[in-house]
Amino acid sequence: MSENIAKFKKSKYYGYFLLIVLAVFFWAVFRTISPKNFGSNKLLFGYLQTSIQYAVGGCGFYFIVVMGLFDFSIGANVVLSSLVGVILSRQFGYWGLVLGCLLCGTLIGMFNGLLYSKLRIPSMIVTVGLMLVLESVANYVVTLDKSGFPGKLTDSNILAIGQAPWNFVIALVAFFLMAFFLRFTRMGTYCNAIGSNEYVAKNMGINVTRYKFLAFVLLHFFVGIMALLTVSYGRGMLAVTGMSSMDRNFPPLMGTFFGVAFKKYGCPVTAIVVGEFIITLIFNGLVAMNVPTTINDFVTGAVLLIIVTLTNRGRVNSVVK
Amino acid sequence: MSEVVLRSEKVNKHFGITHAVKDVSLEFEKGEIHGLIGENGSGKSTFCSILCGIYPISSGSFFLNGIKIQPKNLVEANRKGVSIIVQEIGTLPGLTVAENIFLGEEEKFMKGPIKNTKAMNLEAQKLLNDFGFSRIKAASMIDNYSFEDRKLIEIVKAVYFNPEVVVVDETTTALSQSGRKELFKIIENIKKKGNTVIFISHNLSEVIEHTDRISILRDGELVGTVKTDEVNTDILKRMMVGRELGGRYYRTDYNKEVSKEIVLTVEKISVPGEMKNISFFLHKGEILGFGGLSECGMHEVGKAVFGASYKRKGKVFLANGTEINSITDAIHNKIAYASKDRDNESVITADTIKANICLPSLADLSKNIILKDTELNQFAQKFSDIMSIKMTGINQEVADLSGGNKQKVVLARWLGKDSDILVLDSPTRGIDVKVKADIYALMDGLKKKGKSIIMISEEIPELIGMSDRVLIMKDGKISGEFMRSPKLGEEDLISKMV
Amino acid sequence: MTEKNEIEDNGILIKKQKTVTKMRTLMPLFGFIALVVIFSILTGGRIIDPRNLKLMLSQVYVLMIASTGVFMIMTVGGLDFSQGSILGLTSIVFCIVSRTNIILGIIAAIIAGALMGAFNGIFHVKFKIASFIVTICTMYLFRGLCKYITTNGPVPASLEVLSLNQTWFKILMTLMVLAIGFFFIHFTRLGYDLRAIGAGETAARFSGSRPNLIKFLVFTAAGAITGFASFINVIKVGSITGTAGRMLETQLLIALVLGGMPISGGSKARFSNIIIGTLTYSVLEKSLPMIFPVSATQQLVKGIIFLIVVALTIDHETLKVIK
Repeated sequence: MSENIAKFKKSKYYGYFLLIVLAVFFWAVFRTISPKNFGSNKLLFGYLQTSIQYAVGGCGFYFIVVMGLFDFSIGANVVLSSLVGVILSRQFGYWGLVLGCLLCGTLIGMFNGLLYSKLRIPSMIVTVGLMLVLESVANYVVTLDKSGFPGKLTDSNILAIGQAPWNFVIALVAFFLMAFFLRFTRMGTYCNAIGSNEYVAKNMGINVTRYKFLAFVLLHFFVGIMALLTVSYGRGMLAVTGMSSMDRNFPPLMGTFFGVAFKKYGCPVTAIVVGEFIITLIFNGLVAMNVPTTINDFVTGAVLLIIVTLTNRGRVNSVVK
Repeated sequence: MSEVVLRSEKVNKHFGITHAVKDVSLEFEKGEIHGLIGENGSGKSTFCSILCGIYPISSGSFFLNGIKIQPKNLVEANRKGVSIIVQEIGTLPGLTVAENIFLGEEEKFMKGPIKNTKAMNLEAQKLLNDFGFSRIKAASMIDNYSFEDRKLIEIVKAVYFNPEVVVVDETTTALSQSGRKELFKIIENIKKKGNTVIFISHNLSEVIEHTDRISILRDGELVGTVKTDEVNTDILKRMMVGRELGGRYYRTDYNKEVSKEIVLTVEKISVPGEMKNISFFLHKGEILGFGGLSECGMHEVGKAVFGASYKRKGKVFLANGTEINSITDAIHNKIAYASKDRDNESVITADTIKANICLPSLADLSKNIILKDTELNQFAQKFSDIMSIKMTGINQEVADLSGGNKQKVVLARWLGKDSDILVLDSPTRGIDVKVKADIYALMDGLKKKGKSIIMISEEIPELIGMSDRVLIMKDGKISGEFMRSPKLGEEDLISKMV
Repeated sequence: MTEKNEIEDNGILIKKQKTVTKMRTLMPLFGFIALVVIFSILTGGRIIDPRNLKLMLSQVYVLMIASTGVFMIMTVGGLDFSQGSILGLTSIVFCIVSRTNIILGIIAAIIAGALMGAFNGIFHVKFKIASFIVTICTMYLFRGLCKYITTNGPVPASLEVLSLNQTWFKILMTLMVLAIGFFFIHFTRLGYDLRAIGAGETAARFSGSRPNLIKFLVFTAAGAITGFASFINVIKVGSITGTAGRMLETQLLIALVLGGMPISGGSKARFSNIIIGTLTYSVLEKSLPMIFPVSATQQLVKGIIFLIVVALTIDHETLKVIK
């Protein structure tokens, strides 16, 4: 019997079990504290809609983080791809929005990946520079929007993308794509291999440079999907400067950390999705408790820190920079 | 049966100035289990690693079935029909068992860009079952399995595609009794299929039990190839070791009494997985040698004495009772340490000679926390000169120096600190003969000044030539003690190591 | 290979390396001079006009002071993304306490900064979490506190404090911090320990530098130094809003990199990186608006220059595996 329990503890189902327990736990806690403002079915539905937006980005981020890389320009991508999508939607309706976001995202991914491989600068540093560049480009792109309300979406046909069932359809497609990539292409295996031991991976004949490039492309493709949902939810997008787009980097990252933590159970995609949902629960729970919204950042930081401390610690004699 | 499947012709490998493999020409026959033995540093692992694409060859060639091969990596070697089961861990955590087995070879499961994971898992499971490992599930993460199971999976990975030549590199030391049985079953199967196994091991009785022929390497050169039924372990040991000791510049004094004064006591120290209940004394002016196979735990003893071990139990203390529990304690109490892993643990390669020499002495050189650059320069220059380091100046980066000079930087630093107890791990590894002589002379000089030295070494002649006393370790415990004597022979030491 | 050949080969290699190292140390200086020349031409001489000096230098003080701390963090190979939030929060502390007594206010800000830095240090050193991750988390943590405290409005400074907003005073304070920093890094073992830990932490540990202790102290010190910088910040800005200090960390990163600071720290880090870097960054910041009125363009140019400089100055030998 104990052998079976041990076996269960290592399996995918234990991973699902843990995630469900966590979600129910947080729901229960905040529901008890503020039953009127939190956790009714209608509200839960709202939380779900919010969380799938970030979960999509979290999926893309997963490839990069597993390999040991990082990308600060995700937020800037969301801004830029959204604006490109909006402009194309003026001419081509919702297909314009969809294609604009996805194509722009993918192109950014190729650009980032190319720069990273050619310049041979650590990903963290090169993407800071890229964030600056992409934010600036977004500001130009806005000026190309000749409608009277640059960056805004008003057509209800187009805005339908941000509402059920379409937003769920898009998100589910993204999640299935993610699971597909992980399980049915070499990308999934090689991501893990390169992240595990790049030197050994290279020795096995894996073209590390090519797969790192592909990881960037995939990341920004998924971010393009996230942009699609973001711009629909927000009914438009504002171009920013001064690295304000950095704020958009972190909600998806939290889901990614969940994914990485649950990698050993073999259910990363589910972990990312449920993880984002749990984060959204926590935020909304605090809001329902009348915790001032100005404390949001504090909560983001604290939650991230707790997740990381629990899941990503180095070993005793490792060198961590 | 006597058809040659693999031939090496004057294979050479240089690592910097170290000539690891010297003109080795060997022949391996089809369907034989061919043992390859030699001391640490004899070149046997390097030779096989070149064959399998892990290292590039310096000169010479390998011919498989008459065709020259020079694989650039492991996967290419596998495709040519050669594979290796390495000494360290050869699988990647974070991947499934199936992914590990087929890493780099996913093509046969690909339809375009799509990988047929189900088919891959099924095939992997079938292989595991064929090998008798059905308890290992192909679809689960390899992280769920013990080190031994991972080794078994690695064996399956290396062998399933029926390569013509399989190198087994000291794999038996990592396995339990049952694991070893499995391994030998597989090796016999390879032979039955008409393929060849190159079996590298330190365990001479194992080698005699399972091989058809044995080749002996010494100092990178081929000593000879013998038929297993014509030899025994004594003959093998003699062939492994026989050499002229001339030109090695060891101490020539014998019968000099070592002081009875104890400077360091090590009492029942244990480090999980490395050593158990090790106790010994170090006397003033003594050179205490430690010998054994690479994994016997002696290298960890050096770290423990220097206060650098994690999770160490037991006590290390000086004559005045001061306990050494951290590197800070050790350095403060004038204990020095030169690591076997020179580039990572002894010298900071990306820093200057000056910085490396001055670092442990910075506290001594400061007057009220203030350091004067001119004083540091003088200090570094003085000790570089004493050690005759071949450099362009004290501001040269250590990475540019040869192995011997790097070691001189390490020794210069501890001379600067005027250390009383020096723990030297593999002090002359990868160093040319001339610098070796310098280092031996230095050790002799220090001894005469009343300094005490613990010398950990995998080179048996060095241990015999330089030590007053030699402790041999095996499997984490002390297995023998020998006193300095002109009659002490290498076979004596080896008998306690294996 | 005979020894003679080896010496010859080594000799050529060493000569090459000497020129590269020389270029490395002088390049930031040349870069700065080139930048000043180019931008002088492009702005019609405005940036070197002594009347504009006060404007040109206005942002340098806080940046230079805070860089002294971050320089130490980067030398050991770490990164600190929480600097901006630390500046914001310590500025608030200063504002509040300085109403009682300015000197007490400065001390309070320094202590507050030190505590925040120590918080970073503990998570990095004790829990072995990468510094960039820890400081991204604390960036949000401290920023949240900042925003919360200023919910009902910005925190103003007392008039007495504002009266100190004079150029000579600010220059004096900055020079004081630089002098103290220079003293510790050049005339005590701190500099050697920092560079050793950045160049090879394991070997440094075996040589008697104490990486864990030093890394913890360095994060704490950087927090304290930024706490002091908040004093200058408040003098200049007058009142603190929730977004005070935003982006300081990225400005610091860009400034130090422009000054030739190696990304992974180590033995090639030089104190001059601080001075040349912050000056170069300030010139860039102040000149760009004069040439390109659109802020987006300024940012584009900044980003491109940053990428070019990093690509040129990165030391590929020490970074064996680029992540």
